[in-house]
Formats: sequence, C-alpha cells, structure tokens
Amino acid sequence: MACFDELTAAQIAAGVGAGTFSAEDVARAALDAITARDKSVAAFLQVTPEAALEAARATDAARARGEKLGPLAGVPVAVKDTMNPVGTSTTCASRMLENYESPYTATCVQRLIDAGATPVGKTNMDEFAFGSSTETSAFARTNNPWDTDRVPGGSSGGSAAAVAAGEVPLSLGSDTGGSIRQPAALCGVFGMKPTYGVVSRYGVVAFGSSLDQVGPFGRTVEDVALGMNALVAGGSDPLDSTSQPCDTDFLGCLDEGVEGARVGVIPQLLNAEGLSPEVAAAVRAAADKLEAAGAEIVEVELPHMDAAIAAYYVIGPAEAFSNLARFDGVRYGYQEPGCATLAEQSSLSRAHGFGIEAKRRQMLGAYLLSSGVYDEYYFAAQKARTLITGDYRRAFERADVLLMPAAPRAAWRFGEISDPTQMYLSDVFTVPINIAGNGGISVPLGLGSDSGLPVAAQLVAPSFGDAALIRFAAALERAYGAAPVAPACAGKGGELK
Amino acid sequence: MKQLAEVLKDWEAVIGLEIHTELTALDTKMFCSCKLSHDDEPNANVCPVCLGLPGALPVPNKKAIESIVKAGLATNCEIQKHSMFYRKHYFYPDMAKNFQTTQGPIAFCMHGHLDLEVSGQGAAERPDCAFGSGEAASLASASAGATGLSTMKTADAPRAGSSQGTYDTALASGPVRAEDGSYTVPIRILRIHMEEDAAKMVHVGGQEGRIADAAESLIDYNRCGTPLIELVTEPDLRTPEEARLFMEKLRRIFLTLGISDCSMEKGSMRCDGNVSLRRRGETRLGTKTELKNLNSFKALHDGLEYEIRRQAEVLEEGGIVYQETRHWEPSRKRTVVMRVKETADDYRLFPDPDLAPFDLTDDFIEHCRSEIPELPDEKRARYEASFSLRAADAAQLAGDPEVARFFEEAMAASDAAAKGGKATAADKRARTVANLILNELTGYLNAAGTDVTIATAGIAPAQIASLAALLAEDAISSNQAHEVFGIMAETGDDPAKIVDERGMRQVSDDGALLPIVEQVIANCPDQAQQYRDGNQKVIGYLVGQCMKASRGKGNPKRFNELLRENLA
Repeated sequence: MACFDELTAAQIAAGVGAGTFSAEDVARAALDAITARDKSVAAFLQVTPEAALEAARATDAARARGEKLGPLAGVPVAVKDTMNPVGTSTTCASRMLENYESPYTATCVQRLIDAGATPVGKTNMDEFAFGSSTETSAFARTNNPWDTDRVPGGSSGGSAAAVAAGEVPLSLGSDTGGSIRQPAALCGVFGMKPTYGVVSRYGVVAFGSSLDQVGPFGRTVEDVALGMNALVAGGSDPLDSTSQPCDTDFLGCLDEGVEGARVGVIPQLLNAEGLSPEVAAAVRAAADKLEAAGAEIVEVELPHMDAAIAAYYVIGPAEAFSNLARFDGVRYGYQEPGCATLAEQSSLSRAHGFGIEAKRRQMLGAYLLSSGVYDEYYFAAQKARTLITGDYRRAFERADVLLMPAAPRAAWRFGEISDPTQMYLSDVFTVPINIAGNGGISVPLGLGSDSGLPVAAQLVAPSFGDAALIRFAAALERAYGAAPVAPACAGKGGELK
Repeated sequence: MKQLAEVLKDWEAVIGLEIHTELTALDTKMFCSCKLSHDDEPNANVCPVCLGLPGALPVPNKKAIESIVKAGLATNCEIQKHSMFYRKHYFYPDMAKNFQTTQGPIAFCMHGHLDLEVSGQGAAERPDCAFGSGEAASLASASAGATGLSTMKTADAPRAGSSQGTYDTALASGPVRAEDGSYTVPIRILRIHMEEDAAKMVHVGGQEGRIADAAESLIDYNRCGTPLIELVTEPDLRTPEEARLFMEKLRRIFLTLGISDCSMEKGSMRCDGNVSLRRRGETRLGTKTELKNLNSFKALHDGLEYEIRRQAEVLEEGGIVYQETRHWEPSRKRTVVMRVKETADDYRLFPDPDLAPFDLTDDFIEHCRSEIPELPDEKRARYEASFSLRAADAAQLAGDPEVARFFEEAMAASDAAAKGGKATAADKRARTVANLILNELTGYLNAAGTDVTIATAGIAPAQIASLAALLAEDAISSNQAHEVFGIMAETGDDPAKIVDERGMRQVSDDGALLPIVEQVIANCPDQAQQYRDGNQKVIGYLVGQCMKASRGKGNPKRFNELLRENLA
C-alpha cells in the first residue's frame, strides 16, 4: 500500500475505524517514517515506540471488542516537550530538566489519548519555549523540512517540522507569543492557537501563564478541527481555573462558507517595516481569494499595535521569571554537585542548568518586577494590554475575522539572526494576539515568489469565536489546497502495510 | 533592666501583631485537593500542585474563601468584593514553587477592629495619658510601614474608600477608663488576607535546629499549601497585656467561627509581634523589632515585656535599636537576634496569572454572614442579661464554644428538671451551673491533661445540672459538691444517686441541727465567751465543731446562723 503520509488524521481514524488498516500498522508506519526522516529533520527529542505500539494495540483491541472508537483512533500524534505525559521525560529542551519524568499527564495530552490517538514522542523546542527558531534547545537542532539549512521557526519548531515532514499528521504545540503560528508559517502547515482559556494548560510547563495556550498543527484544516474537538471535549478543566467551557463543534465549521462574511485587513500591517514583499503579496492575494469566495474585505485599524510587542516583552519575561523560579535543583532537575550551602546549590544549579536565553528572560523578568520599576514597566504593560484588547474588540465590531501575516518572512538560515531583539521581531504579527487573548491560525499560502519557501497568512477571530478560524481557514484551503508534505521527506519510509 | 511599669512611665510602647491562623477545619488544601492533616506520615498528603511540579496549576478552595470572609465579618472588616492573589517570591525549599501565593494590596478583609476590654492588674500596665487625635493621624500615616507592607506596589494600591476616614479616626476616641481602672480600647485591624502555608523543615545536625551547619535538611510538604489567613493589626496596642488580650479575643472568635483549632502549641495559630518605643508625648515612631517564637499567650506577653525593657535600656544608655528580627527564648527569658534587616526584601509581588481575580457576590457574602454563630461578646452579654452571671464568669463561659455549648446544655437540663420539682430561681441555678463548670469541671480538665477536652471528658451536661440542683436546694454543701464531682467523674453515676447511696444528703432541718448547736456551745464555754466578748472569728471554730458532731452532714451555713442566734 501507499506511504502513510498521504493520509490525513481524519482518513487514518476512519480507516482504523473501518478496519482498512490497524492502529498498530499506522503506528509502525509512523515510527518507520520518523526513523527515515528525523535524521535530517530532527523534530523529535524522544520517540517512544513501545508506548506508541501499546496504545495502538489497545485501540485495535477496543475495536475487536466492538467498542466505539474515538475520533482520533489510531492517529499518531507528537507533543511538544513542554507537555507532561507519564512515562516520558519532559525536558522543555533544557539541561535543567534533563531526565525529568512527570508523575502525571497533562490534560491536553490525556484528551488526545482519550480520543484514541497514538502518542509517538516528544518534539524539540526552544528551551522553555524562549525563542523563535528552536535554536535555543539544549539538545538538538531541528531543521526545516523544506530546507534543512533553515530554521523551522519556534518555539514549537519540532511539532511543526514533524507534521511538515509527514512524520505525524497531527501534533501539539504551545503558543505564548506565536510559538504555534510562526513555526507553522515557516514549515508550511496549519497551526492554531485558540483563545486563551479554551484549552487547559494543566500539565504544560508554564512560560507566561497569562499568554500560554495549547493548540494543534495539521496539514489540513479538518485535522486541526479534529484536534480541537478532542482538546475541548469534556468541557473546561477543573484543574485549570482559567480554562473555559467550549461547546464549538470545529468539524461543523468546515463547510460553512464565507459568503457575505466580513474579512478585516489592516493596511498599516501590510506596509509594516520588516515585512517581506513576498509575504505581503501572498496575504493580499489571500484577501482576493476570500473576496472571490464571496467575502467582503473591510479595512480596520489597530491603533495600539506598536505597544503590543513592548508589553509582551515585559509581561512574558515577568511571568517566566516567576514560573521558572521553581527550578532550583532541590528536588528534581539539574543539581550542581559538591555545593556546601543551599544558596550555592540553587544559584549554581540555575547558572549551569539554564541556557543563555532562559537566563536572559528570567533576569529581565526579575528586574521588571522589582520594586521601584514595577509601576513603570509591569503596571504600564498591563495598561497597554487593556488598550490592545480594546483595539481587537472594536475591530471585531466591523469584521468577522482579521487577515494578516503570520511571520514577517519565510524561514531564515541558521545563525542568520543572532541579535535577540531582531529575533523578537519575528513574532511581531503573532504577539499582539496573545496579549489580547484572541485565537489565531496560521494558514499556508503555498511558496513565496522570491524564496520558494512556504509563506503564510494568519487569521484572527473574536475572543472565544474560534469557530471562525476553522471556517475561514477552510475557505483558503479550498483555494490553495491542503498543506503538502515537504518534498524532500514525502514518501520516505512509512509504508502502510 | 528596669521593670515594665517603670519603663512605661517614660516610654510609650507601640505594638502591632501579625497573626497567622491555619484553617484546620477544612478538609483540603488551599489550591489542590490534598487532605489537610499534619498527623500523617511526612509527605503523605502531596500532589503535583502543592509540590510545585512543572505544569501544575492552582485551583482555589472555595471553603477557605468562606472562612476568611467569616473571619472578616466577625472582626468588623469591610469585605472586599474584588481582590486578587499575588505571587510573593523568595528562594527557600519550604515553598515548592519558590513563591508563596498570597494577596496583594487589597485583601479579602480590610479595615476592621476589635474592642479590647482591659481590667484588673493588666489595666495598670497602661498609664493614663492623653490620647488625642494627633496621635491617631500620625499612626495612620505610619501604619503601612510599621506593618511590613512597605514593599507593596503603589500603582494598584487600594484607593481610600469613604470609610477610610472613620477607620483612621477610630483611635481618636481612645481608651475609655472606668472608675475601677478598667478600660476599653478599639484595636484596628489593617487587613486579613488569604495565603498558603509553607512546608515544615527539620534541620538535622545544625545548631538549635537552624539550617546553618545542618548536616541535612528534611522537608515535609504535608503542611505546604495549607490555607492560612494572616491578620495584621495597626500598631494600636500599647502594653504586653493588651497584645495578649487581643490574641485571646481573636482566638475565641476564630474558635467560635469553627474555622481553626487555633492551637498555639501545635502552631495552627502563630503570632509575630512588632514593637518600638518612643518617649511619651513623641508622635514619631521609633525603630521596631520583630519578635518571633511567641507560641503561647505567656510567651507573647513575656516576650514583648522583655523586648520593651531591653529597648528602653538600649535607648536610655544612648544606644540604637536596630531594625531586626528577634527570637524569644522562653527558657532563658530573653530575645536574641535572628537576622538584621538592612534593606527591605524585594518579593517581586505581582498578580498571580494562574488565578482569576475574585468577584464576590452579595449573595456569597450574605451566605457567609448567615453561617456566623453567636460570637463570644454577644454570647457573654446574653449570659449576663439572661442569667445574671458575673461578667468575668459570663466571659469565660462564652469564650470557648465547647464550654458555652456545655453550659447551655446543662442549663437546658436544669430547666427541664426544675419544671417538675420545686423551682429554684433560674438565676441561682445558672450561677451554680456556671460555678461548677468554671471551678470543678475546669479544674478536673486541667488536671487530666491536654488530651482531654470538655467534649471528651465523659461528663454530661445533665450531670452538672443535677449536681447544681443538689447545691441549690442546700441538699449538699460546696465541700460535698467537690467530693460528689470526684465520684461522678470516676463512676459516671448521677450525683443524686451518689448522694443518696452514700447518705451524703446535707441536713438543714433545725430540729436536727439545734441540739448539736446547743451541745457544742455547752462543750466549748471558753470559745462561746470569746464570741460574746466580740471575737467574731471564733465562730468558724464553733461551726467546725458542729460539722464534726454531725459527721459532715449538717448545713454549715445554718449552723453558723444558729450559733449566732444562740450566742446572742
């Protein structure tokens, strides 16, 4: 039979349900594809063949008993190494947590398992999600499947690359300032960050608690919708007091069409400094496609856009400083040997356990929260946040969805951006959405006219109106087609017997 | 060092308390569903949340919020509908996340007060002095710094509400002193906030159980995440006695609310004292020291007393009081330096992004209010009014909810019994029941040790009522009552049965007593003459002879009366 990467998650679940192939066959095909492709892509930090086969066999056994299978039955999934499943290490790509095994499973991972998915491993990322290229990982360099000399984006670079390389049809990332949408754009796949509160954060190692949100990557909008349905099934999570109930049937939004709907574009963004012409052109073309599908294009304003990235680099590091304070080497994680005092042990464990970007963000956060500058920075950032949230609320009085770039440019070469502030600007289109809390999805628009690499648009929906993301992304997918597996990887290994 | 009374003539002591109370009555911890128990094996009651494991998130315990709202309502605080949890950062392994989840500038309960009634010897600790509004104003402005809140951020600090003014001038009314020297003074409560307790650490091999030089340190996270409420007073207290009384009063209120077992011994109620001195008439505050290890009412009083005397000596010798934390050593009756605070700690307080701000509804607050039982002050007033009890007795009964319940059950049994037989006035019965509880029963419990409480002592309220009835009817003397109580505690028998079986019923019948009186007067002519010559005291000897002759059964009061009549 054919290579398993030709199948979508939806097709795999249907095939497993119908008995066309077994979940175990699919799991073996995925593991085979990972073996063949990850040498050059290195999307995974850890592959768990035994756990994968065990889960797949359990699915097959359930089918043999005549049980109703879940909507993700037999679908191989990869999760970012910031998520805790029992039985794997959760390192956050940091020496600090090398060999750390969680005694409990994150809600988002559990919900995929409950839907019948086959977890195959943990993907690479920027250390503790601090970065936009996955280059700050302490353990591995993940290569962009479209060009292995280029970055996959980040911080969820491994999860995006695994889907782009056809190693898995579905993966999970977490997005604090663009960490799902930006690597999805650079790898040419769909990547969705729901509204803050839609997906439980319980068991996902926190970066910025008020910004973090988990979401799926896929090569089709249907697969993203399938993933979303599984993540919100069961309602709000009693273990995450910021999670909200979501009763949207995301699959039901696929065929709604966009006739008569209003798509907001922001002229100031399309003329933004640093936006590559090919991305600007691709986003304009996407607007034309939506108009052709019957949508009305309206121009809207986001007056406080400029404040968003400044606010983000105050709130993000402040929360990160606080969230990462627990890593002191006392009970788990890296512990500096041979220390005489507790203070020495804590500070040296942190000095040697964290990488440079993790230290930079924590130092920044510690400064921003200190008394004397708190009002000037943290409190000011919160006020900016209120203004930015208001911008989006007003924009959605005139539009049903916003269309804008996801990343300012296509994937760049390793080492090309070494100045941290330049790196921070690669999130300029995604960060404001986390500040406002809304949901956004990265939609691949084919290859850029100059780079020949994937380029993407971003759709942004009203708060808790995430159904619109699926609805409009599906309209664009009808115009551009599903995201292809990166050519260098397609068909390598992974034969489904 | 000078004696306290001597010191307080020249110096005014300014005292504020920070009182932590664990909400031991709850079933689960503050932010997770772990069982609340300190008695289990170390680290038996832990989970990813209270261990601060990566990815774990807090979920607030609604029952704990109810408890703190009740505490606030019972101490005249304004309940803040909108408040938030904050993170307070410090690196120490007793707090698994390296930050404590606590509250920010706005706590659930703000700006309350308790009226303190100070009488007896304790009232003399506070010399009479002018207590004008100037002082109140200066204290209000100084209070934030004096209560450790100086690190709070200003931008989101509470805006002064309309009632802030009343709160600030509450002190201006000052202590109201009665003729007997007792006085009442309002003590303002700045705030009561909600937080989580830290883990318990045991340092093995170090000096005096401290971490320095310890060979190893053990951490028990069972306590980590225990719901804790911290009450901060304004620096309104002026004497160690006032501090002790405040703590006692607060403990009685919290016990009555049923939110904590309030054990200072076990550490479920803990108190730190801030104290500074200033010359009488001075309005600026002196440098304060913070006292730790005040883990009993006596330690609270004695620690503050020592510290006041120590500071006075330092200041009078021209020295400087350093802002420092000091440890009270009860065995050596002194305070020693724990650490010097050179700079304010920077806890990097900021709103906890994992916990949504609270928006308490009127319904929720009213629900909490409806669950507040009669508080000790109201109860005491009722006991005084309905039973004509002495103020001190009423206060003692009302102060402990278990004792109060016992008293009321005993009175109910007494009322029921009185309906059938010959009625003794309710007031008299109440006083007798109160006396038996406060003397016989309390004495018995004190002797039985700390494990035995009024609820577990095995003595029923009905037994006390029965014993009281015997006393009220003059069927037994108070000496006999003591004896009957002892037998009752041992056998569990009803007092009436004990008295009847052992023939202890007291004889008050003149027909039986008069011959004995006449016989004693005849047998003791010298003493009889002494009485007639004006020596009143000798009557005691003659009553004793009568008691002896009646083999203890005669009513001593009646003997006394009959002796006087027959010697007249």
